Amino acid sequence: MFAIHVENLVKTYDSRRVLDGVNLDVPEGEFYALMGPNGSGKTTLASIIAAVKTQDSGIVEVHGKKPAQAKEFIGYVPQENFSSPKLSGKENLVYFANLLGYSRSQAKQLVAEVLKNVGLSEEADKRVAKYSGGMRKRLEVATAIFPGIKVLILDEPTTGLDPAARRSFFSMIQEIMDNKTSIILITHIGSDAELASRVGLIDSGKMIAEGTPDELKRKHAVEDVITVETAVKADSVLSVLKSYSINGKVVESETGYKIYSRNGDRALADVVRSMDQAGHKVMRIEMARPTLEDVFFRLTERHLQEATG
Amino acid sequence: MGQISAAYTKAVKELLREKAALFWTIAWPIIWVLIGSFSFTGSAPPQVIPYIKGSIAISMMVFALMIAGMSNLPASIAGDRQNGLLSKLISMPIKPYRDFIGRISAVITLSLLAAALVIVIGTAVGARFTGTGVEIAQAIGFVFLVICASAGVGLIAGTLIKNLQGAIMTGVGIAVITSAISGLFAPYEVLPMPLQVFSRVYPISSAQASIVHLLAGPDMVAYNPLTSGQIALTIALSFALLFIGTVLYSRLGWKLE
Repeated sequence: MFAIHVENLVKTYDSRRVLDGVNLDVPEGEFYALMGPNGSGKTTLASIIAAVKTQDSGIVEVHGKKPAQAKEFIGYVPQENFSSPKLSGKENLVYFANLLGYSRSQAKQLVAEVLKNVGLSEEADKRVAKYSGGMRKRLEVATAIFPGIKVLILDEPTTGLDPAARRSFFSMIQEIMDNKTSIILITHIGSDAELASRVGLIDSGKMIAEGTPDELKRKHAVEDVITVETAVKADSVLSVLKSYSINGKVVESETGYKIYSRNGDRALADVVRSMDQAGHKVMRIEMARPTLEDVFFRLTERHLQEATG
Repeated sequence: MGQISAAYTKAVKELLREKAALFWTIAWPIIWVLIGSFSFTGSAPPQVIPYIKGSIAISMMVFALMIAGMSNLPASIAGDRQNGLLSKLISMPIKPYRDFIGRISAVITLSLLAAALVIVIGTAVGARFTGTGVEIAQAIGFVFLVICASAGVGLIAGTLIKNLQGAIMTGVGIAVITSAISGLFAPYEVLPMPLQVFSRVYPISSAQASIVHLLAGPDMVAYNPLTSGQIALTIALSFALLFIGTVLYSRLGWKLE
């Protein structure tokens, strides 16, 4: 039995199909990332699994039960900050523990333990209004890891966090999770999704690819990505770069260009030389192995961020 | 019981830590009790002035109850919906009615605290009240009706208006406008005829007139609000507002689509 089983799921808003026949299976203990741009349907899918919304058709099961009957297993952390800024971290957690039926003394003990797990013991009595974004998100995750939770759903938990806070957040997640709890991470950030053992890419309400991060990259984005920043942007720059990119594909970004190559190391040197010969000053050039964002681009011909915006 | 008490404790703490809520619910009516008690007693005979002050204190107490129900309650509902708490709560094994009872109990607590403070301050600046034990009990009954009607309006606003600021402003707007046109801030007899009718029909101003009649004396009210027809109308409309609010909240308040 899967921790989460979704079959042919359909959800429509105002005659627009937000989810269009989605299938998904997440085994017990798996860390699964669902990646896609805003409007792709990933948050809707998460809210249906979390019993917050209902589907038009299709099957959704959490440990073999309908989500509404499996609420005691589900720890859901919505994208918005839901902790009360007027209460302290401890008061917020006691509130959730009491809602879940823990007595005052049980709640006190449990909350102390959970606060320790998310690294907030020292800040427990501070009002949440004084927490940083990262601390607040940790606190909110703490509301979803009380004993008995088997499925943790994190909806864009790192939105608004700086890279250091994001790293610290995921270290915490890895520390607190045991191998029985399944995690679904909803994200549009490729580097976050890379941490998952399996990733599903969703676009326009359909799952367009699924696999481990390495599988996805091997299958859909075999090229290395070279990012070139030049002093000026011009058609002549573009024509030089096109000659080194697979199928002449050059993606323009705010600060420069991206080209794709099957042999990035060699192309890097060639691009620098050709640009120099053509009289174009290269301000910065770097090569990166393909990311999940690149996989998404290959599959949809759109950037995740562009699609998001 | 645990879920009700959790919702109640959270809501009470939040209300008591929200400066704007405290100002509008407690400080504002007290300011008007002070202003009214020293400025609006006019050329009334000295022996009547304590009862005029009593009548002003009662009006401001009713206003405090209105703000608590019509603004603080929808702010709590709309705020939790807007900040994602509602999504979180829906995903948990919680009975919505328990959250509702907890929230409304918190508003009642704040309402009673505000009412007590307004009456204490009013008394401190010279307000006097009449009334036998039975009349005081009846007056408390009318206070309960004001809370019911205000909470009903608050539930309607908090359920139908999704935006936090919109819900607060709508609640304050309804409280201020209906107070002004129903004779809460002005003597009943200076209102034009259509507003006099409104004042008798609107359960909050009708209950306020009843409380004044019972605790400050019949001379402080321009009509008799304690006829059986008038009382029945006030009770029926107060409970109707609360019923409509509760039904809307239970059907739509916990629905995100």
